[in-house]
Amino acid sequence: MNFLTASIESLGAKVVGWFTVGYGMFAFLVRALLLLLDRTTWNRATFDVVVKQVYFTAVQILHVFMGYTLVISWLIITIILSTAGDFGLTAFASEMTIRVLVLELLPFLTALFIALRSGSAINTEVALMQVNNELDALAHCKVPPMQFEFLPRLIGGMVSVITLAGLAGLLALLMGYLTIYGMSTAGFGPYTQTIAKIFDFKIMVGLIVKCALFGLAVTLIPVTAGLETPKKLFMVPVSVLRGMMRVFFAIVAIEVVSLALKYI
Amino acid sequence: MAAVADLPDDVARVALELPLRANLSALDNIALIPLYQRHYGAAESARQAQAMLDQLGHADIALLRDPDMTPAQRFVTQLARAIILKRPRLVIDRPGAMLYDVPYPAFIRQLAAQAAMTGTWEIFDFSWNQALYQA
Repeated sequence: MNFLTASIESLGAKVVGWFTVGYGMFAFLVRALLLLLDRTTWNRATFDVVVKQVYFTAVQILHVFMGYTLVISWLIITIILSTAGDFGLTAFASEMTIRVLVLELLPFLTALFIALRSGSAINTEVALMQVNNELDALAHCKVPPMQFEFLPRLIGGMVSVITLAGLAGLLALLMGYLTIYGMSTAGFGPYTQTIAKIFDFKIMVGLIVKCALFGLAVTLIPVTAGLETPKKLFMVPVSVLRGMMRVFFAIVAIEVVSLALKYI
Repeated sequence: MAAVADLPDDVARVALELPLRANLSALDNIALIPLYQRHYGAAESARQAQAMLDQLGHADIALLRDPDMTPAQRFVTQLARAIILKRPRLVIDRPGAMLYDVPYPAFIRQLAAQAAMTGTWEIFDFSWNQALYQA
């Protein structure tokens, strides 16, 4: 009986904890959105920090990211083409390539890439700022941390994931064409028709929304996880661990919901 | 010391528990105030911050980040940040905790002589350190 009570209590505490974390993230997001609508937010200083964030999150890693996209795209396209050939489905190979790579795999991998590189850094930095009282110092100086530290990171993350996933998609489309048709221009017509058939308005909006949500997940969750850190230095790794696990689950959840909405 | 933390908003504090932003240079830490409070442009804010460091006689620390500073340089940056807030009172809270590498009463006196600032500087320190100020 004691065991049962303890189990129920433990489960209850976990559920309450999840709701508290979820509510904390939601409340933070609402504050950020309200600040976005505030005209005074859009000053030169905030804009400069956003540009800096986009540079650190997307531009600085562009060459590595493009190399990684090239390799992944080439591998996946080759696998799809050879498998489609084996089953006599070569006619569907280009459509399958675009759907698998551009709509699903590359945005997902982009989000993981940004999460591992920038999300973990954001989580660590915010946790250290919290532990070292840097946020209190900013508040004392009446420098709004949301405007100076957090909002630019959220915007930077979203812009970075959308643009990097877009660039990766374009590169994959080019790779797909070159792998299927080579340097010949003969396949240009059917290939562009396939692209036009797949990328209707609904799919395009869905893709942009999915990438924006990925961008939000890889920045919002690390920021809130960092802010939850108790003021003890040894809790920083625990905060990063929790934050990154939440980011992983959020990315998978967004992908699963997007797939379900599209194909079920 | 709880009394120091409860001081009103119109008091600029220099304290160990109000550190600098670790990933910003001394200049950027100070320039944040004119940038975000008085909405000056980045160049003008940096110029004001540099002028403040010049005034305190530490122009050379502008590009240093917190981990690269000596305790005295860190204190000067925190002090410059507090002065540029332009609040009527400035409280230095337990300077010995921040300035453990210099004879701090003399160091603060020297800085006070250099900084042309309206308002008053108050030092909150442990009573057993009183003798240091009379030396």
